[in-house]
Amino acid sequence: MHRPSPWLWVAAIAAYAFLYVPLVIVVVYSFNDSRLNAEWVGFMLDWYRKLFANEEMLRAAGNSLLIGLVASAVSTVLGTMAGVAMSRYRLRLLPVLVLTPIAIPEILMGVSLLIFFVLLNLTLGLVSVALAHIAFCIGFVAIVVRARLAGMDESLTEAARDCGATPWQTFRYVTLPLIMPGVIAGALMAFTLSIDDFVITFFTAGAGTVTLPLQIYSMIKIAVTPEVNAVSTLLMLLTLLLIIVASRLSPNLFRSD
Amino acid sequence: MTSSRTAGSRGKWLVSGPPLLYLIIFFAIPTLIMLAASFRTPGEFGGLAPLVDETGKLDVNLESYARFFTEPVYFEVFLKSVVYALVTTFCCLLLAYPLATLIARSAQRYRDLLLLLVILPFWSNFLIRVYAWMIILGPNAALAKGVNGVLGLVGIAPVPLLFSSFAVLVCLVYVHLPFMVLPLYANLEKHDQALLDAAQDLGANAWQRFWRITFPLSLPGVYAGAALVFIPALGIFAIPDILGGPNDTLIGNLIKQQFLETRDWPFGSVLSIVLTLAALALAGIAAWVAKRHADAGGTIDA
Amino acid sequence: MTSLRILVAAAALAALPAFAADQLHLYNWNNYIAPETVKRFEAECKCEVVQTYYSDNEELLAKLAAGAKGYDVLVPTSNAVQALIKGGQLKPLDRAQLPNLKNVEPVYLDTPFDPGNQYSAPYAMSTTILGYNEEKMKELGLPTDTWAVIFDPKYLEKVKGRVTVLDSSSELFAAALKYLGYSANDTDPKHWDEAAALIKKAKPYWAAFNASSYIKELTVGNIWLVHGYSNDIFQANLDAQAAGRKFKIVQGVPKEGAVLAVDNMVVHKNAPRPDLALKFVNFMLDGKNSAELTNLIGSGNPNLDARKYIKPELLKYPAIFPPKDLQAKLEQLKDLTPAQRRLRNKLWTEIKASR
Repeated sequence: MHRPSPWLWVAAIAAYAFLYVPLVIVVVYSFNDSRLNAEWVGFMLDWYRKLFANEEMLRAAGNSLLIGLVASAVSTVLGTMAGVAMSRYRLRLLPVLVLTPIAIPEILMGVSLLIFFVLLNLTLGLVSVALAHIAFCIGFVAIVVRARLAGMDESLTEAARDCGATPWQTFRYVTLPLIMPGVIAGALMAFTLSIDDFVITFFTAGAGTVTLPLQIYSMIKIAVTPEVNAVSTLLMLLTLLLIIVASRLSPNLFRSD
Repeated sequence: MTSSRTAGSRGKWLVSGPPLLYLIIFFAIPTLIMLAASFRTPGEFGGLAPLVDETGKLDVNLESYARFFTEPVYFEVFLKSVVYALVTTFCCLLLAYPLATLIARSAQRYRDLLLLLVILPFWSNFLIRVYAWMIILGPNAALAKGVNGVLGLVGIAPVPLLFSSFAVLVCLVYVHLPFMVLPLYANLEKHDQALLDAAQDLGANAWQRFWRITFPLSLPGVYAGAALVFIPALGIFAIPDILGGPNDTLIGNLIKQQFLETRDWPFGSVLSIVLTLAALALAGIAAWVAKRHADAGGTIDA
Repeated sequence: MTSLRILVAAAALAALPAFAADQLHLYNWNNYIAPETVKRFEAECKCEVVQTYYSDNEELLAKLAAGAKGYDVLVPTSNAVQALIKGGQLKPLDRAQLPNLKNVEPVYLDTPFDPGNQYSAPYAMSTTILGYNEEKMKELGLPTDTWAVIFDPKYLEKVKGRVTVLDSSSELFAAALKYLGYSANDTDPKHWDEAAALIKKAKPYWAAFNASSYIKELTVGNIWLVHGYSNDIFQANLDAQAAGRKFKIVQGVPKEGAVLAVDNMVVHKNAPRPDLALKFVNFMLDGKNSAELTNLIGSGNPNLDARKYIKPELLKYPAIFPPKDLQAKLEQLKDLTPAQRRLRNKLWTEIKASR
């Protein structure tokens, strides 16, 4: 039995440190006694107090969370289907349509979706933003799921079929558990992309729709105050909480064995 | 058997249909509208000129394409972006591999938590994470003082860490790291430990086990991660905008300028098409190389 | 899973806008209206003001050009107003409902952008000038009243790596043209080439082209000299004093002249509530309401009636309230033709790509 070598531990911990040093700064600065996110002055809780009085920011955070959950859920389902399809069948159009949204500059996609929605006379709002997010998240999920399936043993699924399982049963009880780590990885990526998206959201949001990135980027020319650090810290904690709660409630949902 | 073949093709449409449909409606069609714009002229005050002008002539031309191919500066910027994206991808791979391996090899009950810990920082807003890097790399912060102190000992003039290509690259790697870790993890997680045990029993040392077994098996994950880092990194503009130096203009910045300063949608569309095609082409080449490598027996059948 | 569903539903409810029959949709820069002003208007009109934000005129123009609607009042800068008028995006203002328009200082009315103020009413203004760390500039013995200090290598040597300029081709070219003695709106390609050469020579000394984080860096002392907006520089000084720094951030108005940016209230052609929009415009043209923004962020104010409500110390800043002799040297930027914009972008790209 192999224990990971000490070098592996060192390298991995270095990577985690790289990931977390900026985050520690983000959280610590949410208590900074200075309007600017530039250097430490002193400790105060005022930003959290201001945040809870700031209806706009809270509503923006709520919108971002909602869109994020919906967009990642739908794009995970569609992306998994796409990943499975690309891995199993010879397809020509789907791989291109899956990869291109990742490659295409966001601003082009944002403007073109806006023009499209206007042509369709679709009211801009949370729905239009969610539809846009799903479009660019599908690709990320599909690629991860396909990578997971690459080289995977077909004999398991064939055996299930031979035993008389329907395609759905095969998928549900054989394939899905096998690809679950890929599906989860994809879902996490999709959620991350959605709650942080600015450019596409800017163009597809309606006249009263604000998401957190929109709110924050509009502050960029004046000052991105530590209120933003506070709301980011809280949003992270809330999302973490949601996931822990969800995994406790359905422990089998995330099982991969 | 005919029934399994029709069942097979029906299965194919059932599985690939919904995502295909969604992407056609909400991606392909809107994008085609803007692709068509690359053949038009910019509108007088923004947007596009009318499709049919007063004389009844259809507004279709290749001006914007000609501009891209006749002025070398755009290609230079494009090349620089490719270099930045390649460096970012490579650095992400170096950092992500040990991390993904550690998570994949950990006990079952810790895996999800460790994975979550990787992505947790990225649920805070992008902008303040970049601002955090500005604090870390600032001239009065510990890191800069330390580095310049060392350089000073060797007699080299102090070098700015912020507003430089270094800052841009560090931030690019930072922002894209999870997109390399997650696909790698998804792939490494399924590697059979028994293979490595057998190899060790046969006398292979750690490096040989890695290079001849683990790495080739992980190639699909590596390529997936590389695609999910390289392709978005190619088009990024926010990071050079916020902490780049005066020479750090990338193709993403140029494209943004076309839409938001010059109001030249056709040219922005042309640059976007070139970027997208190049990204897809490079991804295609990488996939082709991967396939040839696999076919030539470079991988071990699990 | 039920808890998850409840959480999602709660989030959904939180996201629903409060039902209000009377809503005014204001599309504005962030922090460009005092909260008290909004509340007072909501009380007066018995309606709700729904604000969304943009941080660049061009973002506004791109979104409207692609067909977005649902906005009542927008606050674009003059050259963007020009583009919007010519693009047929605005509703003419019913002057009968704007008695407060007479409060505006005449020099800001009836401009070439909008003759007779058919579509726009001036809201607030700023100038694009120099901002500097007083202590450092004194220490280095550098002039602070001329564009030379960001363009001339003999001055730049002393502040190498501590200067930022705006990441805007129109603003930087305007500054360069003014320094060379031309008009900021000069469109002669030869003059543009001169300006581009000047910029390329100065570029190696600059730390960055930056329009978003430069003020932070100025305030904490990492950057000593910026090309920036008067509001931002004013705010930077307030922040520096609040953080207890030993230096002051000062606005430097170059003697060659500078760019004046006047932001105007306009009504979108597809405004859902043009009646509320006009009420709002008239409301903001009242001196007391207009002054609140100036007192909040140090923005310039074209409203004469507002003077008596503005904090007296603000009236002394020439960058905020330019005296007559300075007014003559300030210019508002004009919109360019597509061919000119293309040429400008080509020069700008070459500048950015040069070493």
